[in-house]
Parts: sequence; C-alpha cells; structure tokens
Amino acid sequence: MIKLRTKLTLFNLFSKMVFAAVFIAVMPYIIERINSSQTDKELIRKKEQVISMINEIGIEQFINSESESTFGSYNILKDEFISLERIDLEEDIDSIEVTQRLIEGETISFRVLSYSFDFDGQTYLLEIGKSLESIMHTRKNIFRLTWGLLALIILITLFADLNYVYRVLHPLDLIIKKLKGTSAPDVFDKVPVKTTTFDFNQLDQTLIDLMNRIDDLFRKERDATVNISHDLLTPVSVLRSKLENILLQENLDNDISAKIEESLKTLHRLKTLVNSHLLIARIENRQYLKNESFAVGDLILEIIDELSPIATEAGISLIYNPTADFQMTRANRSLMFSMFYNVVNNAVRNTRSGGKVTVISSFNQNRFSILVADSGIGISEEQLKKLFSRFNSKSNVDEDHVGIGLAITKTIADFHNINITVESKINLGSTFSFLFPGSS
Amino acid sequence: MNVLIVEDEKSLAIEIDAFLRNQGFLCEMAFTGMEASEKIAVNLYDFVLLDLGLPDYNGLDLLKEARDLESEAAFIIITARGNVEDKVKGLNLGADDYLAKPFALIELQSRINAVARRKFAISAPVVHIGNFTIESSSRRVVCAGTEVELTRKEYDLLQYLILNKNKVLTRQQLYEHIWGNLLDDQYDSNFIDVHIKNVRKKLNLHSPTPWLETVRGIGYRVTIDP
Repeated sequence: MIKLRTKLTLFNLFSKMVFAAVFIAVMPYIIERINSSQTDKELIRKKEQVISMINEIGIEQFINSESESTFGSYNILKDEFISLERIDLEEDIDSIEVTQRLIEGETISFRVLSYSFDFDGQTYLLEIGKSLESIMHTRKNIFRLTWGLLALIILITLFADLNYVYRVLHPLDLIIKKLKGTSAPDVFDKVPVKTTTFDFNQLDQTLIDLMNRIDDLFRKERDATVNISHDLLTPVSVLRSKLENILLQENLDNDISAKIEESLKTLHRLKTLVNSHLLIARIENRQYLKNESFAVGDLILEIIDELSPIATEAGISLIYNPTADFQMTRANRSLMFSMFYNVVNNAVRNTRSGGKVTVISSFNQNRFSILVADSGIGISEEQLKKLFSRFNSKSNVDEDHVGIGLAITKTIADFHNINITVESKINLGSTFSFLFPGSS
Repeated sequence: MNVLIVEDEKSLAIEIDAFLRNQGFLCEMAFTGMEASEKIAVNLYDFVLLDLGLPDYNGLDLLKEARDLESEAAFIIITARGNVEDKVKGLNLGADDYLAKPFALIELQSRINAVARRKFAISAPVVHIGNFTIESSSRRVVCAGTEVELTRKEYDLLQYLILNKNKVLTRQQLYEHIWGNLLDDQYDSNFIDVHIKNVRKKLNLHSPTPWLETVRGIGYRVTIDP
C-alpha cells in the first residue's frame, strides 16, 4: 500500500517529467525554427541596408571599373560575408538557402541570402551569408539554458509540491490517527480537526456524527439494561426477604426449610444474572473509576491464596510461577481481581482430580502477560467462538453458575485495554492469556 | 433501638419490619418521602433505613434534611441502583453504610449492629464458645491460651456465623457476606463447604466443635446456649 501523499507527489513528478521530455524533444525543432527565422530576418535587414547604401552612394563604391565584376567582404572570423557581383540573369533571384562557400581555402557552410537587382541598366547579384557554425553556437547556448532552467523548475516545484501536499493532507492524517486510537465510540475525539479543506471537514464531521449516533445507541441500550435491572432487583429483594423471614420461623418443618432454601438458590441465580448484566452495562458506561495503582503479582497471589483450599480439596495442584511483575496504574483493583478470579476459578472447576492449574507471569517483547493454563477438560472449537458472549455461553451453566463470568472478564479486560486470548484442546486443557498494554 | 424504614415498596418494608421486630427493634415505616420527612422532623430515631429510589423524593435530599435538623440517627442507604457514584454521594452526605438490593436480612442486621457499635462506641465483643475465645477486635481465635491460625476468609466465616448465632445461614448468605457482589457468578456451594471443613479441622486439633453444625440441605449454624 502506498500513502496518498507519496502517490500524489509521484504523479506530480511523473507528469513534470513527461512534460519536460516532450519539451526537450520538441525544443530543437522550435529553436531551429526560431533561429532560422531570426537569421533570415537579420539577413533581410542587412540586404536592405546594403541596397539603401547602394542607392545613396552608388554602386561604384563597390564595383567601379569595367574589369572588376565582383566585390566581396567578410569578417576575420569568417562567419559572415557580403558579396556583390555583376552578372547576367535570365530571371530574378530572391532566396535564402544553405550553401557551401570556399573562403581562403576553407569550405564553410553558410546560410546565404541571394538577391538580384538592376542598377544603371546592369543586373547585380547580392549575396549575404552567415556561417552555420555561429548559428549552431547560439542554438547550443539556448539549449543549455533551457535544460538548466527546466531542471531547476522541476526541482523547486517538486519541493513545493511535497510541502504543499504534506500540509494539505495533514488533516487527513489527523483524522486517521483519531480513528486508529478509537476502541469505542465514546472515546472518539469529538473536537473537529482544523482544516480549510471542505472534503476533510465533511469527512471529519460525518465521522463525529456517526460516532455520536453509535454512542447514543449504545448508551440507550446500556441505560435500558440498567433500568430493567433496577426494576427487577426490587421484586427480587421482596421475595428474598419474605423467604428469609419464613426460614427464620421456629419449629419449621425440615422439608419446607429445604424447599425454601431451594427457592432462595433460584432467586440467587436470578439476582446473579441481573447483577452481572448490570455490572457489564456499568463497566461499559465507564461508571467504574480507574484510579488505583497496584502490583499485579500481589493480586494474583491473593487469588491463589483464596482458591488454594478449593483446589486442594478437589485434588488439583494450583501453581503460581511468577517470572515478572507489573505495576498497574490507573486501574480498578476489585474489577481486575474478579477478572483473574473468574478465569482461575473456571480453570480449577474444569480440571479433574490429579490435574493442575498453572498461573505464569512474564514479560514478552516489552509487554507483561499472565497465562492461566489448566490440564482440564478443554473447550470445543464451537464453544470457543462464543466463549466471551453474554448470551450464548452455555458451557459454564449449572446449578450454581449462570455462565456470564467470562463475559464479565472480557468486559473488564477491555475496560483496562488488556487483550485476552484462549487456546484449548479437548481433554488436554485450556490456556487463557492476558496481554497487558505496552508500558508506553 | 428505634428504626425508621423508608421504602416505597410496601411488601419489602413489611418484611424488613417483621424481621427487625423479631430481633428486638422498634420499627416504624414510611412509604413516601414526605411521610419520612415529617417523621424524621418530629421523632427521634437511632436508625433510618433509607431507600434512595423514592417516587416523590430524592433519597439523598432526605439525608441532607436530616443532617440539617442535626438528627443523631444513623443512616443505612438501601438501593437497587447499586452504582458507585450513589454510594460515594451517600457516604459523603453522612450515610453510615450502604446496602444493594437484594440483600439478606441477616446482612442488614449485622450492618446495623456494626454501625451501632461504631456510632455508640461499643467495644467489639469477646465471645466464648466451647473452649474457644473469639476476640473480634484483634481477629484472634484462642483455645486454652494457644492461638488457632485461621486464614482471613476462614475467620470471616466463623465470625459471621457467631454474629448470627442460633440462626441457620445459607451458603449463599455466607458467600455474599464474604465475597460481596462482584464475584456473584463465581459462587460455588462447594466453596463454603471447603472453608467450613478447614475451619473445623483447625479448631478440632485443639478442642471439639459440636457447636458448629451443618444443617442438611440448608447451610450452617453456630449454636450457643443462652
């Protein structure tokens, strides 16, 4: 892929080169034309001067005796000559052409004007010549000058183009940069990019409008979740209090107690479900603060400590292998606690007795990562696809679990710009990787 | 102690009222903000349980009013909008604690007790059960002069059971109290069982614990003869 700026500059350069090439190809012909017409004009002017001189001072000044029939004059560099000759002619001559002349034993090419005229009953032939060498010389000079100028112009305009294209396209770069740094519509920079270009302004404005609309839709959806959740929590609270009050009655039949406890369990599931959706909506609405600093290693240790008794009871070895630590800044500790807790707890739950769960922290290419690997039952490819989805994950649903834990984990990870990936093989185990944002 | 229950959901107010009366509290109910405002202005309460989502009143305004009246009552905020902002605002306005709906009634009671101890500077109790002494101020369990080493969660579990002595606590109630709402989905009935098993194992090394009972199909209970 080539940048627009490079494309424009390359095209500009190319078109200039084509223009220059055409110009250079045509130039000799044009210069030839200009040069010869210039030379011809000069020759005609000289001819007229000579004729008027003859008219003024008479032909005797050049040819005076009967014996002398010609007059010739040339300058010492032999690049110009004038000759006058008394001749007999059938018809008049008035032409300009290139001919070879012998001057003092040297053959030189001249552009020669030949003109016949009558004077005192005699016919004379006037010839004025200019050597081709002198004409060629001027041509070369013009050529050199044009080449130089052309190269200079191309160079200057190239720099000017580069500069201008850079300046003109700069707002586009800013817009692209804005888009690249946008992970969610609400973090898109809504301040319009400064530009005098209508198109960029349109583009930027359209993007801002679009982001606002998406943001609005998302917010409405999340608000709806929050409102529905609130509305659900109050009746759940009423039911719960009623059941708990019944349970507190003395001399209550054990069977009835057990049934009420069952109902409370169901109610707990309902509450968990509502609260989990509420939690996700709140995190997505950025209602949680990220204002804590802490070492990730300590957090993991706490989780290991809490889950160790459970793992031991289930005959699973829970191992922590810290090879690096990372100081988290601007984060929410309790959210991050539940993020790791969910995954480690899942790993323990999905591993059979005799298996092991390993948590490894390390630095890879300047980025801190936590791996949670288990030798458990594994996750099928089908399940992997919707593992982090709020609604489709049936894999972790049982009497106690509503199966939304990994959706919460993903939401918390996104909230902290942590990248989660999962690899899994059926019956061999799963590995969850948390890749932390770069230290910059 | 005098408690005012401010809750627009009548059936919930009635349940809370029934529970607290049973625990020896004197209770009154207000179903609207206006009613609550009047009652707070006229009567003296030790506790006000305040639902923030009242139809006619912003619950936080009620809190401000009470503070302006220099009411001595301790406020415990109850809300279904369990968001952080409300919590912070409420606590900043002088609320003493905060409970998100749906809460366990025994959790409400233990919060009231904790606030009462704090507010009225009652020192944390020392409890004797069997051959054990539980010192809640230092979070220590001692048997015949030797300290029993419990993990933080194990101690929390034991203390909560003792605090609610002679009542059966369900595994969920115990889990909620100790792990809070953030890990709801990770609840495992097994968790509590494993922890209780470890508590028993550690305590039994020193002295038997017939007072820590498993109630089949329901949960656990600490029985202390009055």
